[in-house]
Amino acid sequence: MPDLKLTVNGIEATVLADPSTSLLSVLRKHFHLTGAKYACGEGQCGACTVMVGGEAVRSCVFPIHNVGQKYVETIEGLANSAHLHPIQQAFLDASAFQCGFCTPGMIMASVALLDRNPAPSVEEIRAGLAGNVCRCGTYSRIVKAVQSAAKAGRNA
Amino acid sequence: MPEEAGGGYEHQLQRLEFGDDITRREAAKRLQAGILFLFTVRIGEGQETTNPMPLLSSRLHVGEDGAITVLTGKIECGQGIRTTLTQAAAEELHIAPARVRLIMGDTALVPDDGGTWGSLTTPQTVPVIRQACASLREYLCRYAAQQWKMDAGEIHVSNGRIRHTDGRTLSYRDLIDNKAFGAASIAGARLMPASEWAACGTPMPAVHGPAIVRGALKYSSDLQFDGMLHGYVIRPPNYRCRLLSYDASKAARIPGVKIVRQDDFLGVVAPNEQAAAAAAHTIEAHWSNEQLGNPDTLFSDLKRNSKPPDAKAGGRYPALIEAGSVDQGISRAAHRHKASYQIWYIAHVPLEARAAIAEWRGDWLTVHCGTQAPFPVRDEIAKAFQLPPEHVRVVVSDTGSGYGGKHNSECELEAARLARNAGKPVRLAWSREDEFERSYCRPAALMEVESGFDSEGKVHAWDFHNYNGGAASLTPPYRIGNVRAAYHASISPLRQGSYRSLAAVGNTFARESHMDEIAAELKLDPLEFRLRNIEERRLRTVLERAAERFGWGRVRSGNGVGYGLACNLEKGGHLALLTELEMDGAQVRLRRMVAAFDAGAILNPDILSNQVEGAIVQGIGGALFEQLKFDSNRITNGRLSEYRVPRFTDTPEIDVILVDRRDMPSAGAGESPITATAPSIASAIYAASGKRIRQLPMLPAFEN
Repeated sequence: MPDLKLTVNGIEATVLADPSTSLLSVLRKHFHLTGAKYACGEGQCGACTVMVGGEAVRSCVFPIHNVGQKYVETIEGLANSAHLHPIQQAFLDASAFQCGFCTPGMIMASVALLDRNPAPSVEEIRAGLAGNVCRCGTYSRIVKAVQSAAKAGRNA
Repeated sequence: MPEEAGGGYEHQLQRLEFGDDITRREAAKRLQAGILFLFTVRIGEGQETTNPMPLLSSRLHVGEDGAITVLTGKIECGQGIRTTLTQAAAEELHIAPARVRLIMGDTALVPDDGGTWGSLTTPQTVPVIRQACASLREYLCRYAAQQWKMDAGEIHVSNGRIRHTDGRTLSYRDLIDNKAFGAASIAGARLMPASEWAACGTPMPAVHGPAIVRGALKYSSDLQFDGMLHGYVIRPPNYRCRLLSYDASKAARIPGVKIVRQDDFLGVVAPNEQAAAAAAHTIEAHWSNEQLGNPDTLFSDLKRNSKPPDAKAGGRYPALIEAGSVDQGISRAAHRHKASYQIWYIAHVPLEARAAIAEWRGDWLTVHCGTQAPFPVRDEIAKAFQLPPEHVRVVVSDTGSGYGGKHNSECELEAARLARNAGKPVRLAWSREDEFERSYCRPAALMEVESGFDSEGKVHAWDFHNYNGGAASLTPPYRIGNVRAAYHASISPLRQGSYRSLAAVGNTFARESHMDEIAAELKLDPLEFRLRNIEERRLRTVLERAAERFGWGRVRSGNGVGYGLACNLEKGGHLALLTELEMDGAQVRLRRMVAAFDAGAILNPDILSNQVEGAIVQGIGGALFEQLKFDSNRITNGRLSEYRVPRFTDTPEIDVILVDRRDMPSAGAGESPITATAPSIASAIYAASGKRIRQLPMLPAFEN
């Protein structure tokens, strides 16, 4: 198995793994970053969403050889020690979760959504996040959280 | 007996003996230095709970830093109870919620509060913890009275502290220095009445919210132990199959791989997950050929294989409810209506697939997992290995949800089997496919309903039969003189079990749809028709409040737009749900839903409204499209790409009205708000299209 260099949340590490190994598996086992979750294993629910080169990807079906030189960013890299990212804060303020298992993926997908579209409508938020499942059904609250994060971003 | 009238509780402080209990001594490391208080709670008359529970225990720990840890057998699965219990404890201890900690679901440390099911934490566990905390507060007052030679009645705890007029103070932390500590009887410590609540009744944010949004909350599937091995289970086509023989010769030659077989259980243990899966795939297992049943004749089979209702079965949900004479009532009624309703099997699909890590030391076992029922799972595992229960420690991490699906020892027992001779901890993680195919599902059910009513819209007779579903919400919340409502147990092709609100989803769908049909037959407004038959004041109120907010009566169905409603009374939760939707051919688009909900005194309005919204959304799945399909010997759509769950784009605007009844006991509310979704949508679909759908899920009815 070859060595692969990965940069995750600004930290570079060498990983000994088959190139077809999923990014999710490597993040969880080699980097001990367990914020991104396994939930469906086929890219259907978004619980494993992380950013690769600034794009949201489904890390459970994203092989590490596709990472290349791009930076990987996970939920653990979003906040600094003192301050939450505005989207994390918005989820917290809106209590936009119940069990919280989908939340890291939901937040990463929301970051990507607002990067693409800083002022989305409700319909655009719903469509943009339709690949992410919250089985507890907190969708309305998540929409509100993304709206308020978008508003805070515009006011910043 | 209580010293004060109306107290209704007596607490006895006891000693917790650790003895040679390895798991308990190990677990005690989770508690920092301090003092552990054990309360035996005797609940007398006039208490807040509905079910009699003569003797319960509660445990509180006072730490060196003055923080109070509540130990409870309940677990957090998204219902917000970690936060609600924190509020309840802070309320009675008279301290800031930030000074309260919780240890949940560690069987070696916490009292057995029963499984986290049945919406029982709020009505049963919250009162016990409140009373324990009130008693600790009382105990502190007595200690202060003794130290300061005062009357305990003149002493009050405020913000965790007692202040003497001369400036001296005492806090819970000082109880650690009480050298004369011993057992004491504390009776009648005063609970804070709802009218004086400071911590309860507020929308306190989730105590573990910051960890959730940082991705730092550790679920059972996130745990990794040094040196742990990984298991993989070889699965039969279905749960009825027996293991006839197997050839694991190739797998056995792989270094580091161990084969584990016990009866029909066959698995491997390997140093990592890939090696375990690879080894498992070399094993040829031969299973007996067992049939599940015929999906095409499911409902007639469920009826044919059913038993008469067990009239002697009492409990929370009697299988037979009778009043007056149904046969006479129906034969004498001016109008009669008869219809049957069907609901298919659905899966819980908790987003976290279950995982467990099991570690043996001699005959002592620890299992880390995410079950909803730590003590029953402990007992199941102990029984399987013929061990005393205290030899098994089950430690639950917060769970990536369960909805009633994580009650049994499944993954947990499998991990324990795999680890038995491994010499190291063994982790077993279920795949999504395992979740669909190996866990139990929400029962399918057939409901047959016949009613008799008059031209004025009064229902006089109600004959209701549920086959295979269950007895929850069998009792109609209407005033009907002649009732027979029965649950007939049957033989199910699929493994079935608990699901959020149990059979109340199916029974409410059948009952409310039937009521809607009577209203249509009499050309009565469905709301007006309901109100003519409801006496229960609180149910009338939620219907009226929801209708007012919705604008019911001011809007008219037509042009593909439909308005519908349904109501229910289940587990103390009074629910009305109104739906606006539009239809375009086979497409149903939910536009707006308005719910009004009364579950007594609200402990946390933000958590409650979140539960109501979430339950409504989960109900949309089972109402419109969720369906666990099977053929003669296996489940055929056990993947998230083939089993549709509600998404953002399926979710309407949801407006929740909470009715806060501070004068009423708090009911558990994580389940009952799911029950009105399907009939409310069915009612609106009828209003929009004229088509009456009597099956769940409903969308397949439009496919042809």
